[in-house]
Amino acid sequence: MDINDGEEEDFEFSRNYFLAKELAGSGKKSTRKISDINVVDEQELRAAAANIELKHEKEINSLVNSYKSLYPKWVFELRCGFGLLMYGFGSKKVLIEDFASTALTEYSVVVINGYLQSINLKQVVIALAEIWWEELKTKRRTSSGVSSKFQQPFNSQSMDDLLAFLHESDVEENDSFVCIVVHNIDGPGLRDSESQQYLARLASCSHIRIVASIDNVNAPLLWDKKMVHTQFNWFWYHVPTFAPYNVEGIFFPLILAHSSTAQSAKTAAIVLQSLTPNAQSVFKILAEYQLSHPDEEGMPVDALYTTARERFLVSSQVTLNSHLTEFKDHELVKTRRHSDGQDCLHIPLAADALEKLLSEINQ
Amino acid sequence: MAPSATASESLSPSTTLDTTENNLQPFFVLHRARSRKSEKKPTGTWKTRRRIDLSPSLPKNGENLDAEKAEAWDDCRHVSIRMEAFDDVWSKIKSTIKDVLRDINTNVFNEIHHWVRESFNMITSFATPTFPEATGSFPIVTDAASKQLFTGLVLTKNMEFVDDLLTFEELGSYLRSQGCHVANLSSMEFSVKNGIGGCLRSLLRQFLMVTLDAADVSILATWYREQGSCNNPVVIIIEDMERCSGSVLSDFILMLSEWVLKIPVVLIMGVATTLDAPKSILQSNALHHLCPCKFILGTPPERMDAVVEAVLVKQCSGFGISHKVAVFMRNYFVSQDGTITSFIRALKIVCAQHFFMEPLSFMLCFLLGDDNLMLQGEKYGLSPEMMLKHALNLPSYQSYGRNKIAKQHGETLVNGLAELKKLQCQWSIVILCLYEAGKCDKVTLLDLFCEALDPESFKSRAPDNGGGLENDSGVSSSDCYNHQQYHTTPNSGFICQAVKKLRDLPAVQLRKLLKGWEKYTMNVPQIHDKVKKLLSEVKFEDGKSLGQDLSTISKRHASRKHLKIEDSKAVNEKAAKLLESMVRNYMQPLECVPFHEIVCFKNVNALQTALIGDPRRRIQVDLLDVRNIIRCSCCISSSNTLLPSMHDSSIMYTLAQEHGDLINLHDWYQSFKSIVICLSNKGKHGSNYSPSLKKRKATTEPAKPSEASIQYPIVTELQITGLLRMPSKRRPDYVQRVAFGL
Repeated sequence: MDINDGEEEDFEFSRNYFLAKELAGSGKKSTRKISDINVVDEQELRAAAANIELKHEKEINSLVNSYKSLYPKWVFELRCGFGLLMYGFGSKKVLIEDFASTALTEYSVVVINGYLQSINLKQVVIALAEIWWEELKTKRRTSSGVSSKFQQPFNSQSMDDLLAFLHESDVEENDSFVCIVVHNIDGPGLRDSESQQYLARLASCSHIRIVASIDNVNAPLLWDKKMVHTQFNWFWYHVPTFAPYNVEGIFFPLILAHSSTAQSAKTAAIVLQSLTPNAQSVFKILAEYQLSHPDEEGMPVDALYTTARERFLVSSQVTLNSHLTEFKDHELVKTRRHSDGQDCLHIPLAADALEKLLSEINQ
Repeated sequence: MAPSATASESLSPSTTLDTTENNLQPFFVLHRARSRKSEKKPTGTWKTRRRIDLSPSLPKNGENLDAEKAEAWDDCRHVSIRMEAFDDVWSKIKSTIKDVLRDINTNVFNEIHHWVRESFNMITSFATPTFPEATGSFPIVTDAASKQLFTGLVLTKNMEFVDDLLTFEELGSYLRSQGCHVANLSSMEFSVKNGIGGCLRSLLRQFLMVTLDAADVSILATWYREQGSCNNPVVIIIEDMERCSGSVLSDFILMLSEWVLKIPVVLIMGVATTLDAPKSILQSNALHHLCPCKFILGTPPERMDAVVEAVLVKQCSGFGISHKVAVFMRNYFVSQDGTITSFIRALKIVCAQHFFMEPLSFMLCFLLGDDNLMLQGEKYGLSPEMMLKHALNLPSYQSYGRNKIAKQHGETLVNGLAELKKLQCQWSIVILCLYEAGKCDKVTLLDLFCEALDPESFKSRAPDNGGGLENDSGVSSSDCYNHQQYHTTPNSGFICQAVKKLRDLPAVQLRKLLKGWEKYTMNVPQIHDKVKKLLSEVKFEDGKSLGQDLSTISKRHASRKHLKIEDSKAVNEKAAKLLESMVRNYMQPLECVPFHEIVCFKNVNALQTALIGDPRRRIQVDLLDVRNIIRCSCCISSSNTLLPSMHDSSIMYTLAQEHGDLINLHDWYQSFKSIVICLSNKGKHGSNYSPSLKKRKATTEPAKPSEASIQYPIVTELQITGLLRMPSKRRPDYVQRVAFGL
């Protein structure tokens, strides 16, 4: 999870200092591989995650409960027109939702789960407009029959119109708003600047208040001064909870389980298992050749054809080619041009991954 | 859209089935607003009842006072009173700021309007299209001269465009009030992604109030002809030119110049850098259609001083801040953020916190009027006893007031607040006088303001301390707020500087200055008389030279220097002495006045944490210092060693500190595992473990945490915090650290 992913070279400069210092201090770098760890299967890991017993559950609960005394203050600040921004280590999802459902009962609350991969903000704004519309209707039924120039349906209206509706200033009562809770406003689905701009404009609407949480240390880089000072109008709160990121972490690739060897061998195995036994055997020839000739560019096509034909796996060049096309489509095999001009076939997997793969399809 | 979820009563990290479903929705409605009608009613009836049987119920109230006391102030009723007070005070401050900023720009705005009208006349003088011509969906082709686009370049002198958003908004509404058709565009509309269509759509939205998918400039032309009078120009304001995409802006300018005869457009662009900016951004073919004209806005420090004067020195609202808070806000402005917007935001945070924390803060609203304060409190259902008790317990009353005001009854508070108001008024007059004097020496009001708030230097100045201004140490009180100390050394505070400046001021300026003082001190007769006397001396001395300009005076001075110099010096000295005595006697900082807690916000830490979140540092501290935050008994005992009972991510991150920028996942995992497994093992054998743990099968020993449960927490949480970068293809076995040091 890095916001400034990309030019590694850019980082090198500033890092040289640390690198040099590090190398001078501790001798040579460790070269041990991740594959040396007996990595547990990803599904098993995810399953285990649910059962991990929380350390210090009591203390964490009392820590989270201690924030309850701040609820009146938070409400006060929301009513003053601020947006609340919660940060600190630990999942703040439960805390914020508890705050919203106990202290903000007077206001409608919409929750956005920013940790999800894709969020359609337009849909959110439409929902907000509908809620606000209904609140206005009940309010106006009791007072006067003022009609808004904005008419339903909201579905067909543009974002600008919807935001203008939520920002309409001619409502008598100032202290009425819809609150949006954004878990992980720095999450993957909201991290692009367009979403942030929409969120900022949304937050600046007079009938919207925002309570958001961030977890990434670099989250403030998402906002310029206009957004921070005039639109979001953040009131920062440091509320570490140390609660596990159960939901937030679902869509994060696990470093260990996701390590390339295990993962690529696994995907390859899945593809191979869907192929015919003959095709699998052809692949095996290729894999075995590659393992026994690690220094070569790959297996010449002719050699493969000869071997496959000897083992009665293919009857003609055409059948072999159809297998090869299948392999190439799934990126199981790549063609390389040998130095003597011959086409060679090569499996783009490291030796250890290949061994793992072979053992898997042999089962 | 899901219906409302049920509110959970107690907080626990476990989630119910209902919420797990919601967790995977991109968004959902947590609950709808509960109708507030039912709640409002009791408050209303309560109020009226209270108002009716006001006097008889008083004694009854006193009985259960103590029981009530603890929670009374947090009562939602009281909070809502303070909320109202906040609304009052803040809206006053906000409108004051708006007025001040508008006033600063009045001259420029007039100038701009004048130029807009002139430009419009020029455009219409080129050619006036006939109606069929004008409504045709193509531009009129004429000579190059008529394709000129009059462009006002407004130099904001401020790289922070956020401060100028309001200015351009004001400019827009000013021009609108003068009859122009105005649209405000920002750089958001000039993005490559939206292209020229984005700006057009926004224009149509603002002028025609419609949103069209197929935006076309001819629609705008038709609108202009059809909206009736064609005697008014169309003004398009682009707030931040430098941030626009050059190509889109160029296209936009080319298009407008084609159509300028049909739509008499005048362009106004905010320029943050220099007048060369258009040259570097725009394409040359667009550039030579521009007919630029330059305008200059006030600089941020100027605007800042105006805001400080109106809001904090003259105290439009009665609300004040303590010395430390002021210094923090000053430093934040000068060395960190540099925008007035953030200063105003800080002020709002301060204001909100004050009204939330200080129970009696609602009195601020009445402090400005002459109402009987106690009675007002009564109207809101606060018993006088309660208010008084709270007020008399305020530390300021305890330390400053007790010996002065012996009797402790209702009058104390009323008198105390009246006194506070009076002292504040005097205090602000002295600052304004100092500012007037310091202006010639480029002393900013913000600096003076901070220094004048310092209770320490006031105490050292006090007559009974024997200290005069000369040995005043400025704002260098030692516990002064963190990062940056005031750049003052003893004897060189801004107040001293202003007084010093007074000593060598030429007579004409001195007279002007005293005139200013005369105006300021109108309400304080003691000072006013002295100023008047001094002024008459200056007048007498300079009697003949009245109405002469500075140059002749200085010539005259040069010729008669030796005769006059001593006399004028004497007056300067007198003025300086007067100012010194004013500083000593009348400039009592807010914090030295009893009951100041009611109007003054002092908690600088609260402001700092609310204004500047520091996730980068704080999240790391959370991880490294977890035992102090969750305060568990088991981990807190050992100071530095890692214990298996600690939070997993905390162990991981602490271990990560031992690595360089690249962390070998294998090593890292092993050391983590050895720490975690230590837990179960110690219980059994108490022996140390060798690092080659992985050969042993974790699953064979049931007490040990399973491999999966050790592997899961590894890194995922740290990934979420962004403290690590995932392994790349080039370095599959390493994660990278992102943060070094706090």
